Amino acid sequence: MSSLNSTLVQLAGGLRFTLGIFFLTLLFSIPLGLLVARGRMSKSRIIAGIVRVYISIMRGTPLMLQLLLVYFGPYYVFGFKLSDLDVGPFKYRFVATIIGFSLNYAAYFAEIFRGGIQSMPEGQYEAAQILGFTRMQTFFRIILPQVVKRVLPSITNEVITLVKDTSLAQVLAVTEMFTMAKNLASAQVSVIPFIVAGVFYYVMNGIIEIVMNRAEKSMNYYS
Amino acid sequence: MSVLEMRNIHKSFGSLEVLKGIDLTVEKGQVVGIIGPSGGGKSTLLRCATTLEMIDKGDIKISGQTLVTTSNSGLTQYADRKTLQQIRGRFGLVFQNFNLFPHFSVRRNITESLVVVHKKSRDEANEICDNLLRKLGMLEKADAYPCSLSGGQQQRVSIARALALNPDILFFDEPTSALDPELTSGVLKVIRELAKEHMTMVIVTHEMAFARDVADHIVFMDGGVIVEQGSEVISNPRQERTREFLAGY
Repeated sequence: MSSLNSTLVQLAGGLRFTLGIFFLTLLFSIPLGLLVARGRMSKSRIIAGIVRVYISIMRGTPLMLQLLLVYFGPYYVFGFKLSDLDVGPFKYRFVATIIGFSLNYAAYFAEIFRGGIQSMPEGQYEAAQILGFTRMQTFFRIILPQVVKRVLPSITNEVITLVKDTSLAQVLAVTEMFTMAKNLASAQVSVIPFIVAGVFYYVMNGIIEIVMNRAEKSMNYYS
Repeated sequence: MSVLEMRNIHKSFGSLEVLKGIDLTVEKGQVVGIIGPSGGGKSTLLRCATTLEMIDKGDIKISGQTLVTTSNSGLTQYADRKTLQQIRGRFGLVFQNFNLFPHFSVRRNITESLVVVHKKSRDEANEICDNLLRKLGMLEKADAYPCSLSGGQQQRVSIARALALNPDILFFDEPTSALDPELTSGVLKVIRELAKEHMTMVIVTHEMAFARDVADHIVFMDGGVIVEQGSEVISNPRQERTREFLAGY
């Protein structure tokens, strides 16, 4: 029993990093995704082309490989000492994880946003233009709120995947929950740590489902 | 004073010439009805006047301000962004399919531009909104959302939204084409009321009886040109093409 207790305590310790990766990735990748979506729809062929390649690479190669590149790239390409790249109390391995995740998820979010933005009827833009709204006002007051309602179910999908993907941070030896579970499992010669970790992930996603359902309901006042 | 002056307007989509040199002047207080077959250029003309489409050639002035002009050398130039914004504040447009903002209440649909673009206080905007809704018989729907309203009610809200900015001229692009006959009458009644108050209006419509009653100037368009115009185009057409068109009603 005491071993289960210590398993819980240690996994909860790893949970800090899991939650850190999760929230920081959302914080950076959603605005970045919006920006990338705009770039993808840019009238400039050069910008649209570059963004297209970016999305293609991010979606077409493993996230694990991208994480390794972000982490080791500065050393192999530019000769930086990785310990010089720490940001305040955060080790570069953690910073690299956040950068890698954010860049990757931004690509997925961008495609979701693009679909939502392009599904908006032209009449909404025209009405806004006639009423004198600037393009920025039109986007943030008229278009985006309606896009959010349309894309929320797809966003929920990505967010749930992100919870599980945080386990990939183990390749950079970030001691998030999955790394912890693996270490405990081999130390205890037991699958219990894996099961406990599984329950943690499942509960997190259960909470996300509840929160996102509420968010969807809160936008049901119009159709 | 002319509120709207359009001179020698040309507009093509690709190789299709939709407007082939249109001249149209609307005086203050005048109600102009534009009729004609689909594809004749009526809606395009309206969209050009309201900056939703850019013209290829010609001059447009709204309330004395130059929206676009073509020089003698053939260069067509639009006003700068700031002037465009000013001019857009001088006219309103009512769309065929309303284009209300579905995520805003009726009140917010009407007040948003007043507050955000025209920098009025919330209270002031609400007062303007209430007065308009009362006039259009929609006050009890102020907090409703567009999806809960009938088409006729939505169109009245969109008229209120356009009127809120106190425009010099109001454009209607087939305001009743998306409505069934029962709902149409309510909207036409509102437009009749506005005509009585001498609101300057340009109305593209397929409602011939309504156009004849409410408009003091009728323009018949076909094939990208104005075939004939005047006060008696519907009751007493002179052109064969106009007679042919009107025979269908």
